[in-house]
Amino acid sequence: MHLVIVGNGVAGVTAAMDARAADPRAQITLISGESEYFFSRTALMYAYMDVMQRRDLEPYERKVFREQRLTLLRDWVVDLDAGTRELRLAGGATVSYDKLLLATGSRGRRAPWERDLEGVVRFVSLQDLDACERLTPGTRRAVVAGGGLIGVELVECLMHHRVPVTFLVREPSYWPAALSVEEGDLVAAHIRAQGVDLRLGTEVKSMEGDGRVTGVTTTAGETIACQMVGVTIGVEPNVEWLRTVKTPPELNRGVVTDQAFRTSLPDVFAAGDVAEVEGRIEPLWYAAKRQGEAVARAMMGEPVEYAPPTYYNSAKFFHLEWTCAGETKGPGRFRKLPGREASVRVIERDGLAVGFSMLGTRWNHRVLVKWVEERRRVDEVMGRLSEAQYDVEFGKVAL
Amino acid sequence: MIRDRLYHDLTNRGITGWIVAALLVWFYIALYFTESLTPWAQKVGLSSKWDLYGVLYTVVILVGGIAMIRKYGHNRYQVVRTGVVMFVQVVFAFSIPMMLKALHQPEYYLSYFWPLKFDYMNPEYLFAQPWPFVVYTLAASLVIVPLLGALIGKRWYCSWVCGCGGLANTMGEPWRHLSDKSSAAWKFEKVSIYSVFGISLLLTGLLFYSWFTKSKAPEVVQFQTWYGLIVGSILSGAVGTGLYPLGGTRVWCRFFCPMAALLGITQKAGKRFHIRVKEDMCISCGLCSKYCEMGIDVRAYAQRNESFTRASCVGCGICSEVCPRGVLRLENQSGLVQISGGR
Ligand SMILES: Cc1cc2nc3c(=O)[nH]c(=O)nc-3n(C[C@H](O)[C@H](O)[C@H](O)COP(=O)(O)OP(=O)(O)OC[C@H]3O[C@@H](n4cnc5c(N)ncnc54)[C@H](O)[C@@H]3O)c2cc1C
Ligand code: SF4
Repeated sequence: MHLVIVGNGVAGVTAAMDARAADPRAQITLISGESEYFFSRTALMYAYMDVMQRRDLEPYERKVFREQRLTLLRDWVVDLDAGTRELRLAGGATVSYDKLLLATGSRGRRAPWERDLEGVVRFVSLQDLDACERLTPGTRRAVVAGGGLIGVELVECLMHHRVPVTFLVREPSYWPAALSVEEGDLVAAHIRAQGVDLRLGTEVKSMEGDGRVTGVTTTAGETIACQMVGVTIGVEPNVEWLRTVKTPPELNRGVVTDQAFRTSLPDVFAAGDVAEVEGRIEPLWYAAKRQGEAVARAMMGEPVEYAPPTYYNSAKFFHLEWTCAGETKGPGRFRKLPGREASVRVIERDGLAVGFSMLGTRWNHRVLVKWVEERRRVDEVMGRLSEAQYDVEFGKVAL
Repeated sequence: MIRDRLYHDLTNRGITGWIVAALLVWFYIALYFTESLTPWAQKVGLSSKWDLYGVLYTVVILVGGIAMIRKYGHNRYQVVRTGVVMFVQVVFAFSIPMMLKALHQPEYYLSYFWPLKFDYMNPEYLFAQPWPFVVYTLAASLVIVPLLGALIGKRWYCSWVCGCGGLANTMGEPWRHLSDKSSAAWKFEKVSIYSVFGISLLLTGLLFYSWFTKSKAPEVVQFQTWYGLIVGSILSGAVGTGLYPLGGTRVWCRFFCPMAALLGITQKAGKRFHIRVKEDMCISCGLCSKYCEMGIDVRAYAQRNESFTRASCVGCGICSEVCPRGVLRLENQSGLVQISGGR
């Protein structure tokens, strides 16, 4: 059997390794256009900040791929023919498959005001990283537009290189997608304390420049001169390339699949950021890994009924760590921790704790998730919060 | 920009890194094998090159320690640990021996034990000392060291007390990431460190045998000299510290130190100290592995949700500090309690 996987991100590579463990004889090929070896997209910022080198981003030693007999091809897949079971690569080669996994991840969303000028960057791929590194030395000011998790990482990198940054965020409070207004204020204050010119409630209206970007004009009418513009307004499943292939699978926002990751094409599966599993897209590292494990089982013919577990996530805004579990929106109990940039928030419904959002200190999300799943009462968990703390030794924070 | 480039070069095996390594090796050769530092010592009013070395060593640990506390001030574990390292260096590894010397007493380094301080278990030397020192040394080497290793991990010594570790974790900090993370290096480590440990045990055994039988074969004398030269001077000094800018800060500790070997065995056997991995939260970014001075591929454990104890881990706690998702936690506790939810 020849199992071909398009995309060597965490979903594709996890699936390849698990498939190998399940079937020592299968021929397994990973094709990816971005890099020959699997790397951690989540660590792009550390490479940009020069605290890691390119090779450090690779989670497995290269010899692992040889030992596991995973064939690696570096190229872009440009055509898919489900009738002949063939892929065509940009380099001209064709690859035939018995089973195919589409794990092509996400790409940065394009902004309506965006123009293809030198100096405009995203922060998703290794090529984006190269562009950022090339542009940094000539940049006297950068504008980053979009206040999500990738945006703040890009801002941190630029500040690390002592590039002044104007950070434009459309929403009136910081990251309302998950943070309450009080938490947003705390994070916004922290970001400003790092020297970032953070402007809430401000969007880009247009880009200035001709060939090279020279500035952006905001919805407030101000023109900010800059040599670099980071567009970080979110990511979307990387499906554009599938629209023009000979036999496209059914596409919605992502590649549409059932609970066993089957697409509309025979023996073609999809997993990771690109997959829309029963209407749901989970653009997260842990989810892509989990889906990679599950899709390997599905491709090996095991019955799989994937259902996402209780939501949790974590992130870091400069030095502020954040952990959440369960729901993040809705009324709840918020408490700012005395004397430090930290807070806890328990989201409450009918007296039950349905979610947690914790800023500035460390938490074991497993305990929080368990409380949500066990439908514990808010009064009870408020009294037991210290059981979920995960601070370093000697560093347990008083709640 | 220039400053950043220079720092990158110095800390990523660039030309400046090589130059600093060469200077450090040169310094150690001059110190161990020549008297060229003696006049410098006398110029500043010290009686020997070793005193000069002691002063330099202490100053460097203090300066590096302050930098360390400034960098990691938000992390209580790092503040407490670094504070203890500085205190031990100033008091036990510097002031007390200097005071003893001024009082014309033998200079005891009470923070060093066998098998790192090899002579302390040489019966010829040991039993010629006053009884409190004999009791202290025997109790420390044979009971306290392994017992604490089993209870709280080798860290109590390697990253809290030991001067070699102290230097690595203060002045060495900018180079900690240069340790080799490959599985090949791990294989080499297992062979090299237990070889040195075996040799040190053998030599100690021979010295005791000679002492009991009251006859010391010339081969034993030679063995002792060579051990002192290769392990004491070349490996722990010139290679261990000299190569900071090339091989990272713990080359000696990881590949050669017999004390680390002994403590590593008790740490594993004690089954208490471990690095706990919070399940399903690792994003495989690799900062933990990159900044592990012992070259442990921490990420390999974290990304498969495996709490672990490695013999070489000195419990410096930097993996936990740098992890952007708070996945790692140092703990002493028998029987891991894993909380499983979700799935
Ligand atoms: C800067 C940044 C930070 C992030 N931080 C976090 C975080 O902290 N926590 C978290 O949970 N998630 C984070 N994410 C999201 C996380 O990285 C993704 O969820 C995860 O990488 C998805 O994995 P994947 O395998 O589905 O796809 P990807 O990692 O995107 O891999 C897909 C691969 O397929 C290749 N490919 C695409 N099309 C083709 C084609 N036609 N032919 C050949 N190859 C193709 C791509 O080049 C890519 O290499 C972050 C993302 C970014 C960009
Ligand atoms: S630093 Fe943390 S998130 Fe990154 S690889 Fe290590 S354990 Fe995982």
